[in-house]
Amino acid sequence: MVLYAAFTIYPVLVTFYNSLHTLRMDLGMLYEYVGLEHFREILTSDDVFWKAARNSLVWAIVAPLVDLPLAFVLALTLHARVPFARVFRTVWFTPVLMSYPVVGVIWLWVYNYDWGIANLVLRAVGLGSYAQAWLASPATALPALILVTTWMFAGFNMVVLLAAIHAIPADYLEAATVDGAGPWHRTVRIMIPLLRPTLVNLAILDFIGKMKQFALVWVMTRGGPMWGTETVATYVVKRAFEWKTLDLGYPSAIAVIWFVIIFGLSLLLTRVLQRREALEF
Amino acid sequence: MSRRLTRLLLLLPVLAYTVFSAGPYLWTVMMSLRTTEEIYRSHYGLPIPAHWAKYATAWNEFGYATYFRNSTIVAVASVLIVTLIGSMAGFAFGRRRYHFPLREPLFLLIFLSIMFPPQIMLLSLFQILVQYHLFNSLAGLTLVYVVTELPLTIYLLRAFFAQIPTELEEAARIDGCSDWAMFWRVMFPMALPAVATTVILNFIYFWNEFLYAVVFITQQKIRTLPLAIQFLVSDQYQDIGMLATGLMIATLPVLVLYLFLSEWFVKGMTAGAIKG
Repeated sequence: MVLYAAFTIYPVLVTFYNSLHTLRMDLGMLYEYVGLEHFREILTSDDVFWKAARNSLVWAIVAPLVDLPLAFVLALTLHARVPFARVFRTVWFTPVLMSYPVVGVIWLWVYNYDWGIANLVLRAVGLGSYAQAWLASPATALPALILVTTWMFAGFNMVVLLAAIHAIPADYLEAATVDGAGPWHRTVRIMIPLLRPTLVNLAILDFIGKMKQFALVWVMTRGGPMWGTETVATYVVKRAFEWKTLDLGYPSAIAVIWFVIIFGLSLLLTRVLQRREALEF
Repeated sequence: MSRRLTRLLLLLPVLAYTVFSAGPYLWTVMMSLRTTEEIYRSHYGLPIPAHWAKYATAWNEFGYATYFRNSTIVAVASVLIVTLIGSMAGFAFGRRRYHFPLREPLFLLIFLSIMFPPQIMLLSLFQILVQYHLFNSLAGLTLVYVVTELPLTIYLLRAFFAQIPTELEEAARIDGCSDWAMFWRVMFPMALPAVATTVILNFIYFWNEFLYAVVFITQQKIRTLPLAIQFLVSDQYQDIGMLATGLMIATLPVLVLYLFLSEWFVKGMTAGAIKG
C-alpha cells in the first residue's frame, strides 16, 4: 500500500509539477506564438524590468552582508554567557514567525513621518533634521525596507549560528588558547573557518530569499515611489494582473529569466565560496 | 571582578538589540488595547484603561472571525495532507527496500524543486486553477500550498527515515508486518519528532503565506488573514487602533504556541534553513 501511494501519487505530482513548467509562450488565454520576442523586449527595452532587477540584486547582496555579521556578533554575545541568554534568544527569534503583511503594517507605522518610532528616536537624540518620510523618497525607501528584513531575519540567522557555535568542540578553542591565541584570533582564525559551511548556507538562503522578495514590498510601498522599491517579483505580478495588456506570456518570460539568473548566481556563489574554502586548507 | 564587568558591558548591546527587536511589536500590543482617539492623542501612551472589548469588536464586526476561519481551514488542511503524503513518500524514498523505477532521478527532481522561486509557477498555476474551477476557492489554495511545501517535507523526512536501522524493519517483517503496517505501526511512530518539526515549519508557512493568496483569492469572504490585513490597511488606514487589534489576532495563535513550544519552533524553522 505504501508502495502504491508512492507509485501513484508521485507521478501525478511530478506531472503536475512538470506541466507547470511548460506553458511559457502563451498570450493571455489565446495562445499565440511569438518566439523569443518577449525576451528580446525585456532585455533590450524594458526600463522597469532593469530597475526591478537592480533593486532585487541590491537587496539580495546587501541583506546577507548586514544580516550575517549582525547575527554573528549577537550569537557571540550570547555565547559569552550573558545572563538570560535563553530569553533574549526567544525574543530575537520572534519576528521571523510573523507574516509579511503584519510586519509591513507595523513598520509602516514605525516609518510614519509624524509619530513613527524612527523619527521619534531621531528627534529624541537631537538628529531631528534627519527625520523624514522614509518610504516617500526613492533614495530612502529601499534601505528602509532592507532594514525591515534585517529586523525579521537577523535573529533567525543568529539562532542557527549559535547552534553551530555550540557544536564546535571545546578542545579546539582550548587548544588555541594554550597556543596563545587571544579572543580575536580565536574568533577569526578558528571559529569563522569552522562555521564557514553554515555561513555560506545562510548567505545563499538569504540571497535567494531576497531575490524572490514580494510580500513586504506589496504591503508597504507597492514598488513605489518611482519604481524605487519595485522588485522583479512584484513586477511580474503587476504585469500579469494590473497591466492593460492582460498578457500572461510577458511576465512568464520575466519569471523564466529571473529563475535562470537566481539559479545561476546561487550555483556560482556556492562554487566561489566553496573554492575559497578549498584554497585555505 | 573584571569578568563581571565585561559581562555587564556585553549586556548593553544585547539589551539594545532586544529593544530594537521587540519594541515595534510591543508598541503594537499596546495600541491594540487602545482606541484610535486615544492613540491620536498620544501614540506612545500605556493602555490604561485596557479596552479588551476591541478584540471582540474586531472579531465580530471587522470580519476577523471569517478570515481567521479561512486561514485555519487552509493551514490545517494543507498541513494534514502534506504530512500524510510527505511522510509516505519520504518513507518510500528513504528505505532502501523500495526500488522503484527512476527513484534517484525523481528524488533529484524533488530536491531541485525546493529551490524554485514561486514566480516560475505562479502564472501557470493561475491558469490551471482557472481551468479546473479551483480559482477563488480555499480548496484550490490548499492544493497549491500542498504542492509547494511537499518537496521540502519529503526531503526532510526522507533523511530521517533513511537513518532508522534496518534491523527494526527486519524484525517487524519477521513478525509478519505488511508494508502498510510497517509504516503506520513501526516507522511513523519513530519518525514523530521529525514529523512534528515539519508540521510546525509548514503550519507557519501556510499561516503566513501571502503571494499565492494575493493572486488566487479575489473574493472578500474567503480571504486569509495576511490577505485581509493587506486590504484593511489600505481601506481603513486611519483606524490604527482597530488595525493593531487585527494584527494581534493574526499573530497571537502562532506566538502563544511559540511561547510554550519554543524549542520545537526553533527546530522546525531552522530545519527549513538546511535547504538552499
